[in-house]
Amino acid sequence: MKLTERFRLSRFVAGEKAIDTPVTLNHRRIFILPTLRGLGFVLLIALLLLIAFVYNNNLTYMLAFLLASVFFVTILHSYKALAGLVVQKGRSKAVFAGEAAGFDIHINNPTDLQRQQLQVTQQDSQRLVIQAQGAAHITLYSITQKRGWHTAGTVTLSSTYPLGLFRAWSPIRFGLKALVYPKPALIEIPFPQISLAGAQQGFNQKRGDDFQGLQAYQSGDSIKHIHWKAFAKGLGVFSKQYAGEQSIEEIRLDYDQAPGHSIEERLSQLCRWVVDAEQAGITYSFALPGLKLPPDNGLAHYQKCLEALALF
Amino acid sequence: MKPELDKNILIFLLSSVGLIVLPHIYHIPAAVFGFFGLLFSWRFIGIWKQKWLPNKPVIFIAVVCGIALLYNQHQGLFGRDAGTQLFIIALGLKLMEIKTERDLYLITYFAFIVAASQFLYEQSILMTAYILLICCVLLATLVYINSGKAQTLSAIKTAVIITVQALPIALALFILFPRIDAPKWMLLNDPHQARAGLSDSMEPGSISDLGGSDELVFRVKFASAIPPPRLRYWRGPVLTYTDGKRWTQIAFQKPMRSPVVTGRAYQYKLLMEPQDKNWIFALDMPVEIPSPLTISSAYQLSAVDRSDNRTEYDLISYTDYNTGPINLGEYKTATQLPSEPSDKIKQLVAQLHGFDSAPDNFINRLLNHFRVEDFHYTLTPPLIEENPIENFLFKTRYGFCSHYASAFVYLMRVAHIPARVVTGYQGGELNKAGDFLEIRQADAHAWAEVWLNDKGWVRVDPTAAIAPERIEQSSSIDWHTTYGIAAANVPAYNWLKQARQLWGKVDYNWQRWVINYDNKSQANFLSSFGINDLKTLTYWMIAVIASITAVLCWFLLYHKSKSADKVLSSYNRFCKKLVKHGLIRNAGEGAKDYAERVKTKLPAQTADIDQITAVFIKLRFGRIVTGEDLQSLKRLVDLFRA
Repeated sequence: MKLTERFRLSRFVAGEKAIDTPVTLNHRRIFILPTLRGLGFVLLIALLLLIAFVYNNNLTYMLAFLLASVFFVTILHSYKALAGLVVQKGRSKAVFAGEAAGFDIHINNPTDLQRQQLQVTQQDSQRLVIQAQGAAHITLYSITQKRGWHTAGTVTLSSTYPLGLFRAWSPIRFGLKALVYPKPALIEIPFPQISLAGAQQGFNQKRGDDFQGLQAYQSGDSIKHIHWKAFAKGLGVFSKQYAGEQSIEEIRLDYDQAPGHSIEERLSQLCRWVVDAEQAGITYSFALPGLKLPPDNGLAHYQKCLEALALF
Repeated sequence: MKPELDKNILIFLLSSVGLIVLPHIYHIPAAVFGFFGLLFSWRFIGIWKQKWLPNKPVIFIAVVCGIALLYNQHQGLFGRDAGTQLFIIALGLKLMEIKTERDLYLITYFAFIVAASQFLYEQSILMTAYILLICCVLLATLVYINSGKAQTLSAIKTAVIITVQALPIALALFILFPRIDAPKWMLLNDPHQARAGLSDSMEPGSISDLGGSDELVFRVKFASAIPPPRLRYWRGPVLTYTDGKRWTQIAFQKPMRSPVVTGRAYQYKLLMEPQDKNWIFALDMPVEIPSPLTISSAYQLSAVDRSDNRTEYDLISYTDYNTGPINLGEYKTATQLPSEPSDKIKQLVAQLHGFDSAPDNFINRLLNHFRVEDFHYTLTPPLIEENPIENFLFKTRYGFCSHYASAFVYLMRVAHIPARVVTGYQGGELNKAGDFLEIRQADAHAWAEVWLNDKGWVRVDPTAAIAPERIEQSSSIDWHTTYGIAAANVPAYNWLKQARQLWGKVDYNWQRWVINYDNKSQANFLSSFGINDLKTLTYWMIAVIASITAVLCWFLLYHKSKSADKVLSSYNRFCKKLVKHGLIRNAGEGAKDYAERVKTKLPAQTADIDQITAVFIKLRFGRIVTGEDLQSLKRLVDLFRA
C-alpha cells in the first residue's frame, strides 16, 4: 500500500476499495476514536488531577492515573472488540424501485472471544452479539430510488465495547449490488390491443365483468379491483376477480406501445404490464429498442424482462 | 435509537453509588446525608415502582431543597467540605432523573468524583482498597451498559481485568508524574473551617483521630549550633486547669520572675507562618524577648495581635534553666484536681510510691510504668466518653501525647506534686539546603511540667517513655506511624501481635511511600535512577509507558485467536509442501481456486487435495465446526506428500 493511499482520509469513513473476498478485520481496517462520553471521561480525569493537585493528595492522584490508564487500556480492548472478525458478503435480491433492497452479510467469529454489542450500519443499523467461534448472518436494508444497479455502499461494523469510551469502527465496501426494477406504474392501463397470431381479431381487451370472487391482493393487482369495502372494514386487502381475465392468452408488450411522457414513465408502464401479465398467467412477448424476447411466461422469462427494463 | 434501561443496570449503578457515598457518613452533616439517603432510597424503590418516581415539579422542588441545604451548611461551593457536599447532593438529584444512557454515564462520573473526595478525608490502606473495589463496580456498570447480552458476572470480570491491566501504567504514572506544590492562591480554605493548629484547650478522650497535616507552622534559623532533637521543645499554651476531661489555660498574669539560666545560649530567628492565634512558639526556655511580644507567667510568648502575614522574630533561648520557687497561688492552681481521685488511682499512685518517696523517684517509676505495662502509642485511639484519665490508664491504654501528658500530670497532682500540661511543637525537620528547621502541624505535641524544689519547673515528656522514636527522630513521618513502632516494643509472643506488627510496618511504608510521596521524596527516589531533570523524566515516562504498552499489546492481541491460527497454520503447512512445485498461493486467492490450480499440476493427489481443501473451508467458514475437524485437517496435512 502506498503511503499516500494509507493516509487517505476517506479510508476512515468509506473504507478500502470495494472487494468481493471475505475481509478479516485487522489494524488496517479498524479505526478507533473516543466517543463524546470518552471525552467526558477525559474531563473527569482532568478534574480529579486538579483536586489532587490542589489538595496535594496522592491517593486522588492515584485514582486519576488509574482512570487515565483504564482509558488508555480500553483502546486495546476496543480494537479487540472487532479484530479478527471475518466479514463476507452474501446475496442480494432484486427489488422494485422504492422498495428496500436487502443485502446479506455474513460475519464469522473464528476467535475464542465473544463479541458484544456489534453494530452493523448501512442505512439503518442493527445490533448483534456473536458468540466465540460463532457466526451471524444479517440482512441490511436500504431504500432504493431508481431502477438499475443499486450498490450497497459502505457497511460499517462498529462497537463501543467495553466501556463506551471509544468507538472502534471498520468501514467495508463490498461489490454488493442489487438489481432494481422500475417501479410498476400505479395507473392501470389495459394491455395493448394488438395481440399476436392466434388471438382473435377485434377481441375485446377489456376485462370481463363476470365477478367470480375475491382473492388476496398481490402486487400488480389493479387498484380498481381492490375490494375497498372489505379494506375499510379492516379485513385486509382483497382483489376482485373477474372471469373475463382468463380470456386473454397471449399479448405483446412493446416499448413503442407503452404510453408515457418520458422513458421512465414508459418503462414503468411496461413493468406494470409484465407484472400483471405474469400474475394473470398470460403468455407475453417483450420488446425494447434493441431487444426482443419471444412470447413466453414463467419466472425466468419474467426476470429476463424485468432485468432488461432495469438496465435499459 | 434509545436502548431500554435495564433494571439490572440501575441496581448495579445504585448499589455502587450507595457504597461510594456510605463512608462519607462520618464527614458530612447529617442533614446532607439524610437528604441524599432520601433521594437514594426513593430512586431505589423507583426501580420497581416506576410510578412513584418524581415528576418535573417535584424534581424542581428537590433541587431547590438541595441548594437551600447547601447554602445553609456552607454558603460556598469551594473547599473540601463544601465541594464534597455539593457533589453528593448533585449525585442524589441526578439519580432522580435517569432517562438515557447519557444520564448513567454522568452519574458514574459523579460517583468517581465522590470517591476521590473520600481520599481527602481518609487515606488508609483499607479505604483505598474499598474505593478501588467500588471503582471496579462502577466500571462494570459501564461494561454492562455496553454489552449486548449483559451478564453481571462477566461484566464485573471484564471490569476487573481492565483495572488490573491498567494498574502497571497507573503505578508508573504515580511514581514518575512530576509533583508540584499547588500555588497558595489555589488552596481553598473552607470559610468556616479554622486553620489546623493548636487550640487553647485539650480534651484527650474526645479526639479519636489526630490528622497530622504537613502544613508548615514556623521555621527557625539558628545563628550557630542547632539544639539536638531531644531538646527541641517549642513552647505553646500551658494548660493548668482541668475539669477531669478538659484542660484549659488560666488567665494571663505578668511573669513573676525571670528564670536563672546557665549553659549555652541559642540565638535564632523564628519565622511564623500566618496563624489563627497570636501565639509564638519559642524554644524552651525563652529569655530575650523582642519588644512587641509579651510573656505570660507560664513563660508562653504571644504577639499583640494575630497576623495574616509571615512574621519574623529574633529570640534567645536557654535549654538549661531554673525558674525558682513558686508562690502559693501558683501551687494551688498546679495541684488542682476536679474531684477526689478514685481509689483505683490512689492505689496506683501508692503502688508507684507516689505518697512515700521523693518526686524524682515517683516520676521515674511512673515513666517506667508506662514503658513496661501494655501501653501503646497511636494516632487513632479509641474514644473515651467517661473518666478519660482513669479509663485510659486502666482500660484502653492506646493514646497519643495528650493522653500521656494529661494522665501524667493528673497522677502527679494526686501525689501533691505541682504539675501542668504544656502544648506546643516538638522536633522539626532540618532543611539541609537552607540549614533551618521546619516545624509542621504534624509536629504538634503535648508534654508535662512538674515543679521540683530547687529546680523550678522541669519538663517531663511521658510520650518519650512510650515512643522514644517520636522524640529522637523528629521526622513528621514517624508522627503518623509511631503506632507501628510502639507496638514493636512489646515482646511478640503470639501471632496476633506479629500480625499487628507486620500491619504496622505495612502501614508505615504506605504512609511513607504512598501518602507522603511528595516532590521532595520523589526527587530523592528518582535521582537514585539518575533522573534529575524534567527532560530525563519525560523520556523515562515515555519509555516505561511504551514498554508496558508493548507487553499489554502482546498479552492482549497476539496471545489470543489460538484456534483460528491453528487452522491457518495447518493449511499454510500444506501450502508450504506445494511450494517446491512452484505452486505458490497468491494473496487473496481462494482455497478452491488454489486447489484447482494444484490439481492440474498434481493430478495424482486430487483426492487428498480436495479433502484438505474441503475441511479447511469448513473450518474457516462453516457454521458448525467441531474440534475433530481441526484434528482431521492436521492429520491430513501431515500425511500429505507432494
